[in-house]
Amino acid sequence: MKRYLDVYKQGMYSALQSAAAYRMNFIVSSLITLAGNILFPLVTLLIYRAGTSFPGWGLYEVLLIQSVFTMSSGLSSLIFGGVLWTTMSHVREGSFEVILLKPLNPLFFIIATTFSIDSVGLFLGGVSLFIFAAMHVGAIPVLFWLQFAGMFIAGTAVLAGLSLMMAAISFKWVGNSRISELADSVLHIGKYPLPIFPKAVQAAATMIIPVGMVGFLPASALLGRVHASDYAAILPCFLFLAAGIWIYRHMIRLYEGVGG
Amino acid sequence: MMPVIDVQHLTKTYKTYKRGAGMGQTFKSFFQREEVVVHAVNDISFAIGQGEICGILGPNGAGKSTAIKMLCGALYPTSGEIQVLGYSPARDRKRYVGKIGAVFGQKSQLIWDIPPIDSFHMNKAIYGIANPDFKSRLEELTELLDIAHVIEKPTRVLSLGERMKCEFVMAMLHRPDILFLDEPTIGLDVIAKVKIREFIRQMNKKQNMTCILTTHDLEDVEELAHRVIVINHGDKVFDDSLQQLKLFLGEKKRVNFTFAESVQGTVFDNAYTKVIDRLSDFQITLEVDTAHISISDFLEDISRKHRFSDISVKELPIQQVVMNIYENAGGVDE
Repeated sequence: MKRYLDVYKQGMYSALQSAAAYRMNFIVSSLITLAGNILFPLVTLLIYRAGTSFPGWGLYEVLLIQSVFTMSSGLSSLIFGGVLWTTMSHVREGSFEVILLKPLNPLFFIIATTFSIDSVGLFLGGVSLFIFAAMHVGAIPVLFWLQFAGMFIAGTAVLAGLSLMMAAISFKWVGNSRISELADSVLHIGKYPLPIFPKAVQAAATMIIPVGMVGFLPASALLGRVHASDYAAILPCFLFLAAGIWIYRHMIRLYEGVGG
Repeated sequence: MMPVIDVQHLTKTYKTYKRGAGMGQTFKSFFQREEVVVHAVNDISFAIGQGEICGILGPNGAGKSTAIKMLCGALYPTSGEIQVLGYSPARDRKRYVGKIGAVFGQKSQLIWDIPPIDSFHMNKAIYGIANPDFKSRLEELTELLDIAHVIEKPTRVLSLGERMKCEFVMAMLHRPDILFLDEPTIGLDVIAKVKIREFIRQMNKKQNMTCILTTHDLEDVEELAHRVIVINHGDKVFDDSLQQLKLFLGEKKRVNFTFAESVQGTVFDNAYTKVIDRLSDFQITLEVDTAHISISDFLEDISRKHRFSDISVKELPIQQVVMNIYENAGGVDE
């Protein structure tokens, strides 16, 4: 365990050093990510200013959902964001054996060495928006905060699972840079109140690919709007992460390298 | 000698797709691709003893890199058995790779944007090397390779030779029992090649470390290997000592001349010299049988007859070696 912690610590240090080597790239990339994600809640603001709304949901409630989604995405991106691109590039260039030469779980090694410091901007942007929205929804009891924390962790597990599944696909679907868009298209559902979607989509977004847990359900917990049945969606989140890990490890066996 | 590596009927096949050339073929490949089964390694067996340096020779695409990747546990064999240090490399990968080191000439283990010293620290964490051991080992390796002055510069600013030496430090920090080297001198200048070969020799001698070396550079093998395996199109075509290989080669060298005057009409072919290539009346490649005449005597003889502005003396290309083996032994030597 200590060895794994040391490797992770060294990986974070290397990521910081790499970011420091290209300071301008780090600053510009963080700002672009931050701006892109702050612009997205502005659309919500415009919708409400125009007199329309998501039925049954106030402006700050929707912003809360979107801020939780952004925080969750930022956290997941910090820890797991590099897995897809690193795996894809190793498979395409036939250099994955460099990972397999280490006496560690290869998935852990990739996660440890791809800490995406660029995603700090996204995470901090989410935190800022979260504080702003939370200040406008009234007092939140401690119990709701605890429920939120549990669901937030479950939501981050979903994002991690999705990242691993996308990365696993790159072993088979070599060099396809659009893989991440598959995940993004599914994730969009988590940015809005689930009740605005048809029942079938709601069921899929809580039990099959539980993207509802990424933004909507944790925010609903803070607002005291979760039902007992919503807690059942926590288990599929961790099953989803376990499936991502299993698929990734299985797909490593398909790695064939390229000509030497 | 107890074998530390035992390979039995090792085979690796994989599927790829034939896409053809030109616009028409490329367009067709979007809808229909012809599947091609490649036999990268075809039923090869061998055993290697503790402390041996074994060279695996073969032309590009012969299957030597695929074989070494299977020996390292990075690729699963299609069939056959591999036992290295009592482990099955792919099945026991996590425990096994802690006992080996590997340098892939075309794949770096260094982190590109940060100095090699930080990559070394990463390996220290990965292999759980204790601080005092790490310090003394690093000092020993950097001194041997003469790179103490470069390890704190970012990897991306280092020369290929310096980077390759750092790759060796990465592979050797944890004192592996076996070192796998896949084209370790590719693209290096003569001085770097000599330094690296000397380093491998010393590590082998001091630690009785087994080395498996794939290359298509005959010089690497001549300088280092006790034993040579030649692979061609996935098949093992030769497995014997370096002395035995030299019998097949017939002690031949290739000499490229750039003459300062036209040598049109000059006949170079004789009992010990053969013209291999005549690019122009000024540029000629000759094959010299050094069993009959030493290179210095040969050059003295030529310089008496013609003035030349440039020469280079090289080993036979590996393709020629493989052809010689086929011609002299009729194929596989089991």
